[in-house]
Amino acid sequence: MTATDSTRVAAEPFDPFELKDVVSGNIRDPYPRMRELRLQSPVHVGPVDLGDEEPIPLDPSAIPPVTVFGFDEVVQVLRDNETYSSSVYEGVMGTVMGRTILQMDEPEHRMSRALVSQSFRSKVLERWEEQLVAVVVNELIDSFIARGHADLVREVTFNYPAQVIAHILGLPRADYPRFQRWAIELTSLAANWDRGMAASAALRVYFCAVMEERRSVPGDDLISDLVRVEVEGERLEDEEICSFLRLLLPAGVETTYRATGNLLLGLLGDRPQFDALYHDRSLYAQAFEESLRWEPPVTVILRRATRDTELAGVPISAGADVALLLGAANRDERKYVDPDRYDMFREVRQHVGFGFGVHVCLGMHLARMESRVAINTLFDRLGPFTLDPEAEVPHIEGMAFRSPLSLPVVFQAP
Amino acid sequence: MSEHMDVKIDWDRCMGSGNCVFWAPGTFDLSEDGHAVVTDVGATDEDRLRIAAEGCPVGAISLWRDGREVALNEKEE
Repeated sequence: MTATDSTRVAAEPFDPFELKDVVSGNIRDPYPRMRELRLQSPVHVGPVDLGDEEPIPLDPSAIPPVTVFGFDEVVQVLRDNETYSSSVYEGVMGTVMGRTILQMDEPEHRMSRALVSQSFRSKVLERWEEQLVAVVVNELIDSFIARGHADLVREVTFNYPAQVIAHILGLPRADYPRFQRWAIELTSLAANWDRGMAASAALRVYFCAVMEERRSVPGDDLISDLVRVEVEGERLEDEEICSFLRLLLPAGVETTYRATGNLLLGLLGDRPQFDALYHDRSLYAQAFEESLRWEPPVTVILRRATRDTELAGVPISAGADVALLLGAANRDERKYVDPDRYDMFREVRQHVGFGFGVHVCLGMHLARMESRVAINTLFDRLGPFTLDPEAEVPHIEGMAFRSPLSLPVVFQAP
Repeated sequence: MSEHMDVKIDWDRCMGSGNCVFWAPGTFDLSEDGHAVVTDVGATDEDRLRIAAEGCPVGAISLWRDGREVALNEKEE
């Protein structure tokens, strides 16, 4: 990166378009190809061509990687955390974030997760609903409501989760821009390793100072909770807290912004369903969960086989990396009727959009609440908005991460 | 057929994800130590109970009727 780039990035708000190809790939619809491969077998050994990149030539001496396309098979792997270890995340993720619950196995994982999970219970999160999430979303809407049209990705969904997380951590408002910048630099590590590692180091320094401060002056925030939490005599080390806070950035910012966009696109693409939710907000739970089935924002989870085993009759060698394609599993035709359709009224609600097993998304209640408040606030402020007929019809794209890059809408605010 | 289903939670498996509380808040709650507990089986209709049980990430919830376990993991026909 040149000095000019750095100045520009620092000076301007982040633009999702700037990062679209490097963060997520630009595949529009990987699901037909995944279906084809799943129909051959729900489990593939060796490289698979998903059309997103040049297939990497296989090193004949290496243990061939495994890719799982089927719902039942993905659930089986995620529930069997003895055969399929999370230590696979020690490499890149461990280097960037530090040691976190993401890469831990039992029993260490259970104890560590228990220390942080108290802060992510739905009842604990209620306090953030009105005084924080609604306020953030309302402020964003204020900036465009008079205009009668908006891009809901650029102007709402992309911005609100970072602000929510920053506030939950109790960070001062003035720090939000650099916080969001570090968050994105960390997430786009694949595009620029040095920049991502620099963001990781900067965050460590930053969070250490904040932890110090919260020890002497505790506040009503997550960092204050984490420095004093204790379960069965166990406390969190500073390094553990710091790593966990770093993990929160991609986990809590990237995913929620994408998930909210996918829900909006699902609704905007099907007027009867949009209207159903608009008039009956009690349908929110099934509307959001279905969007996570239809287009999960994170489409792949990794595990590593700890022993020789077998999945759907396919032999897997000890040490093999196992890629679980959540998006493919969520469209398994053996489980869902018409799986490519967004249908909040479908019979089966089970999905693996939040993952599954002991590592299931820690922030799922926060994500559900944030997205619910965002949708409700948009409905209440904008009225029944529609896709802008003058603009290009939006679509979801990406490979590892998927979401729409824009959602141009028009409205007549009530 | 009995009036309603029975719900059992395997506390060795339960890791307090709270997913059951999300789907069936009248029936499940989280205890202080982070385990799911059953507060009122009859407060949730059977469809929702089934969703809560199937959605449990660690498979800790089982549904029972007349002493027999109800099969989960339904598929759309």
